[in-house]
Amino acid sequence: MHGVLTSWRAALLYLLAWLMLGLLLTAMLAVSGVSWPASLLFALPLVLLYAFASGYSAYYVCRAYPLGPKRMAAPIKGVGLTALCAAGLWCALGAAWSSLWQALAPTLALAFNRTLVTSMFGLGVLLYGLAATVSYLMIESERVRELETRALQARLMAQDAELRMLRTQVDPHFLFNSLNSISALTTIDPAAARAMIVQLADFFRHGLGLQADRKVTLAQELRLVADFVAIEQVRFGERLRFEVDADAGAQACLLPPMLLQPLVENAVKHGIGQMLAPGTIRIRAARAGSLLQIRVENDVDPDGAPAKGGGIGLENVRQRLAGTYGHEAGVRWTREVDAFCVELTLPAEASAAIMEDRSTCA
Amino acid sequence: MRVILVDDEHLARAVLREHLGQHPDVEIVAECANGFEAVKAIAELQPDLVFLDIQMPKLDGFEVAELAGARTNYLFVTAFDAFALRAFEVHAVDYLLKPFSGERLAQALAHARTRLAAPPSAQAPAAQALQDVVTEARSRQLPLERILIRDGVRVQVVPVASIDFIEAEDDYVAIQAGGKRWLKSQRLAELDTQLDPRAFLRVHRSFIVNLAAIARIEPSGRDGHCAVLRDGSRVPISRSGYQKVRERIG
Repeated sequence: MHGVLTSWRAALLYLLAWLMLGLLLTAMLAVSGVSWPASLLFALPLVLLYAFASGYSAYYVCRAYPLGPKRMAAPIKGVGLTALCAAGLWCALGAAWSSLWQALAPTLALAFNRTLVTSMFGLGVLLYGLAATVSYLMIESERVRELETRALQARLMAQDAELRMLRTQVDPHFLFNSLNSISALTTIDPAAARAMIVQLADFFRHGLGLQADRKVTLAQELRLVADFVAIEQVRFGERLRFEVDADAGAQACLLPPMLLQPLVENAVKHGIGQMLAPGTIRIRAARAGSLLQIRVENDVDPDGAPAKGGGIGLENVRQRLAGTYGHEAGVRWTREVDAFCVELTLPAEASAAIMEDRSTCA
Repeated sequence: MRVILVDDEHLARAVLREHLGQHPDVEIVAECANGFEAVKAIAELQPDLVFLDIQMPKLDGFEVAELAGARTNYLFVTAFDAFALRAFEVHAVDYLLKPFSGERLAQALAHARTRLAAPPSAQAPAAQALQDVVTEARSRQLPLERILIRDGVRVQVVPVASIDFIEAEDDYVAIQAGGKRWLKSQRLAELDTQLDPRAFLRVHRSFIVNLAAIARIEPSGRDGHCAVLRDGSRVPISRSGYQKVRERIG
């Protein structure tokens, strides 16, 4: 009943149903020989009163006796007993109501006889049962809705946790080695040390501001990657080269945050970091119709061990793409003698389209 | 004290150099940017102490220590390596965490000086501890993908896939790979545990063979067998070895 009254439309429907019942009872009384005004005056107020009384009480009774897969006896007993009491009370009210009209206006009153009491009691029990059923339905649907909300919240929290993990997953090596470089630069080249501190701060600030459910444009992701590479270039010097080629259409597309950064981090760690000679990391992104294609390629040591099945970083990217786009997105990687290449394909979502989406949702 | 600095990052070497400048008794005899140079420099210059970065291309710090041997002292330097740090703690091997302070470096140097001043008989535990740390580091990368062999001052990297067979020769193993033969100071039984059991099989007390290299199995002598390899060489197979080969090849 509570559930019903929380929405006006539901409350109106509920009242309408009971109004129909009241009219039905009126008609039954009229057919049995009572005059129409007397029937109406007797039945309608009593039915509407019962509508509220049984509705409210049934809701709480139903809450007190929740339906379980095993315990059916308790709800039946509980609801049954209350139904009998409620019907009895209703009959008593009926008797009082009829005697009141008997005293006030005998023409509008009806005879409250034994047959009427019996049928009213029976009807009272049945109607109470009906109210209980409605309440059980309401409680159940409330529970389902709550479960859904909770599941949705859990999923959002999991996504957030995943991103937080990704953020902290930024290799500790990266942080400590960068600090070591700064430590060296403080006496050799203080200005470069300061520049590197600012780059490091930019990188972490950008990373900390991300939210799992808010996609970023490729341009934003590439800026984060560029910050990362700039810091690594201080460490690796000439050994690390970086090229980006992304057309304007691709740059405006949206993708989950921190999607490319782990790939570039891997490229530095397992690719360039394992080479004696200088190596290049190339990012190429292009929009092909409804698809966004991104390619991250890096040189590797030809004598190095072949990558074992792609590693955790790639698996993580695959899962995140699958979680966001389902079968519409894919990732594949290939190892050649002197290069490693990861190709991502995902639906091209323009940033403006998503804004509209967001506003209609809100 | 003669020291060598080994780190692939020039800034990391620079900060070490700067700190070491505070210690007049320390002489930097070489700086190496990779493991190969390091093995060569250690063999040629025989320093008292090597500052050895763990994360380096091609050869990591542990591999350098393994190849260059325990005749010198090592001070491992790393930014972050949970496994290595645990091994250092367990075996009481000194290490530096990047970035480090001048005081921490001075402490490590003092520690090294005491070790150097100790009589040779007291050096054995330190060498053993180093050996244990290196073995632990190696066990994290099993099965082996390549075998490192020191050939004088040079380091030879032999990918295990290129190996045809390995033969025991006294305290050495002779590794036959791509028509070349390399000697490495190791026991065959130990090497057997480090190789991928799906690819390599010990067919004889003195022989491990690469299953992919076997061209055919032939009977030899009275109820004996031998494997004929893709390069034509013949490897004897013992009776129990023959059982294992039949299970694997069918």
